[in-house]
Amino acid sequence: MSAIAEFFVGLGPRGRSLLPPRVHGTLRIDLVDQDCTSHWYVDMTAADRVLVTRDSRPADAVLTTTHRLLERLVCGDQSAIAALLRNEATFAGDTRLILAFRRFFPSPAGTRDPREVARQHALHGQAWRERLQTRIS
Amino acid sequence: MLDGNTFLVCDDTGDIDASRKVPTGLFSYDTRFLSNWRLSINGERLHALSVDDVRYFETRFFLVPGEPTHYVDAKVSVIRNRTIGGSFTEDLAVLNHADHEVDLTVRLDMASDFADIFEIKNPQSKKATVSATVEEKKLRLRYRRDRFHRETVISTSADAQIDSGGMTFRIRVPGQSEWQTQLRVQTLVLGAHERDFRDSLELRHVRNPDELDEQLREWMAAAPRLSCDSLDIVSTYRRSLADLAALRYSSITMAAELVAAGLPWFMTVFGRDSIFTCLQALPFTPQLTPTTLGTLAYGQGSRIDDFRDEEPGKILHELRYGESAGFAEQSHSPYYGAADSTPLFVILLDEYERWTGDDTLVRAYEFEARAALSWIDTYGDLLDTGYIWYQTRNPDTGLANQCWKDSWDSISYRDGRLPPFPRATCEQQGYAYDAKMRGARLARLYWNDPAFAERLEREAAELKDRFNREFWIADGEYYALALDADGGQVDALSSNIGHLLWSGIVDESRAGRIAELLLGDRLFSGWGVRTLATDCARYNPVGYHVGTVWPFDNSIIAWGLWRYGYRREAATICEAMFDAARHFQGRLPEAFAGYPRVRTRSPVQYPTACSPQAWSAGTPLLLLRVMLGLEPHDEHLIIDPEVPAGIGRVELLDIPGRWGKIDALGRSRTPDDDSEQATSRNGAGALTEGRRGA
Repeated sequence: MSAIAEFFVGLGPRGRSLLPPRVHGTLRIDLVDQDCTSHWYVDMTAADRVLVTRDSRPADAVLTTTHRLLERLVCGDQSAIAALLRNEATFAGDTRLILAFRRFFPSPAGTRDPREVARQHALHGQAWRERLQTRIS
Repeated sequence: MLDGNTFLVCDDTGDIDASRKVPTGLFSYDTRFLSNWRLSINGERLHALSVDDVRYFETRFFLVPGEPTHYVDAKVSVIRNRTIGGSFTEDLAVLNHADHEVDLTVRLDMASDFADIFEIKNPQSKKATVSATVEEKKLRLRYRRDRFHRETVISTSADAQIDSGGMTFRIRVPGQSEWQTQLRVQTLVLGAHERDFRDSLELRHVRNPDELDEQLREWMAAAPRLSCDSLDIVSTYRRSLADLAALRYSSITMAAELVAAGLPWFMTVFGRDSIFTCLQALPFTPQLTPTTLGTLAYGQGSRIDDFRDEEPGKILHELRYGESAGFAEQSHSPYYGAADSTPLFVILLDEYERWTGDDTLVRAYEFEARAALSWIDTYGDLLDTGYIWYQTRNPDTGLANQCWKDSWDSISYRDGRLPPFPRATCEQQGYAYDAKMRGARLARLYWNDPAFAERLEREAAELKDRFNREFWIADGEYYALALDADGGQVDALSSNIGHLLWSGIVDESRAGRIAELLLGDRLFSGWGVRTLATDCARYNPVGYHVGTVWPFDNSIIAWGLWRYGYRREAATICEAMFDAARHFQGRLPEAFAGYPRVRTRSPVQYPTACSPQAWSAGTPLLLLRVMLGLEPHDEHLIIDPEVPAGIGRVELLDIPGRWGKIDALGRSRTPDDDSEQATSRNGAGALTEGRRGA
């Protein structure tokens, strides 16, 4: 399965839990590559899961881009908003749905938890507190 | 001159002659669309007789050709009338004052470098070139880099000879007559199918001057009316409202109006600035808050992205629309490098409900508010100590200091050394405390989650206790500016301690000492509280965050003093700020110098301070709230004024809120009041009017 297909298949109930309950609407993604256009239709109207089909029905918002860019978005390698700003992706309709959809994208590959990184280099937790107490007493 | 995030900076003749370092030009969406706009007549530049700022979106220039020494003789004069409202329009009139006809060559040089706002701050060469196309009565300037596409389209109503560098009008003007043309400049941000992206989103971006005028009238009329013995305070109030109106622009997310942070560098969404401005303005223009909360909620961080300092639940710091953000040369798409905007988001949500009773909104953003509260204890607490810490993960373009004092040297020890990272500044712990207390109120009243409310209150109490033990500097008797990663106190005395009062994290027993320090010689200049005390090694009266006085900072400090009952101290700050505002014609700048007042007849402007700036424009509003002692309590508004001596009567009529509209009246104490005080608590002139129109 391609990375894109895997991303959409994985949304389901987990996808819904990433969205504020207030978010309610449909988003169509049009991938335009040379003369061929393919679609992903993301239905965010159900309370318990996100439904994804390959329909080309009208939607509340439409995100238009290329297969290549979407591949980079679903692996976390690119920011959707930066892509929109440089016009590598365009959108129409309800902007809020595109911003909500952004919540599905993962962190860039290899990203570490910043807490883990900071604690590797600095005193933390109880050791930090003991040092502070020695210094201020 | 500005309308939302489109603005024009020019010289006193109306010309734009931008070298890359000088921020003159016509700007929109963080791009300069005109860098050259220079008028000449018969090869001679013009000289200004006068400039009339008609309204914030309209300016009129009266000019004559030649240098000042020979204009006495001018037989020709020029009037340039320009408006900004979506597009930029200049009505150019050339008047012949002689009694015979004259032939003139009117030339307007035109160019755009399409510089990104960040390239003007830090000059660098463009990645692509600009092309010019001459069309019927039009000059089109185009910048394209990959699919990034910006255009400036300049059209003229009169016939012109157009070349790639401008327009030439060879005109014949009869005696005692005039010639006119209208020039229109469109700034296009082109998206799908070469259409302006605002058209695809149905954002209404073209507002003509009549519409803008009508909107300004409605905006002013919707705000409470101020009547006051001091005419200076009334004009400062009106100036503030008009500046906030000018700084409004359309949020792309919410298709409604947001406030940009300030001219010229910050015409965009800033989490912190927008939140503080909304907090300051809530009693006056509550309609600004829902759009701000919505924009920040939809932009909330959802993943870990080191380049943008993003984490799940974090509220954004800054969003830019330009080329450098799109191509990831800058990280503002959006950038999340602020450790305080996340708790501040929860604080604004709660304060908004207290004023307006709009519980729909606090229910709608429950998801984001919970994620924000969770961020405080997870990603915010980098070192697992029960505090919010910051350290950028983007050493190239990220911010070193992720607090409101975000310049590189703002956080220092008293002896001037800079602490290691991560850092935990004191006011951010105050905001975290307040966010937990307010989050608890929202959880109990609106989210139907009393267990969460109890947990938040318990955590807040523990934080307050810990904070008062660990930030308190015993020998100086004040709170440290920050704690460092080595377990040390960053012991500079700073204005940040005033924010702690506002947050309520200060132990009652210590509030008096903090008030005394804030109004003492080291911090208080006479014009306001300095960012850093005079006995700190890095103190500099003209240092951006190390000695200047920030009006916004002072408004929060006054609110904090008021909260702990130090009404006279709060009133002293209010009075000093209104005095300063008078010297700036009612428009408080971002910051001014920290020299002692006795050495300066008027406050000294900080060299590159932004003006107008949203949270400086919001300052007089919050000061009025503090002077009148306005505080929502359940369905009522408490009015408990403490008006500085010498201001006299202050009446604020039709304050909007959950009570409908209400009036607040206060007046300065007189010697008689002080003698009466023993018998009447409200003897100081606290005239409280009942509910009306609810």
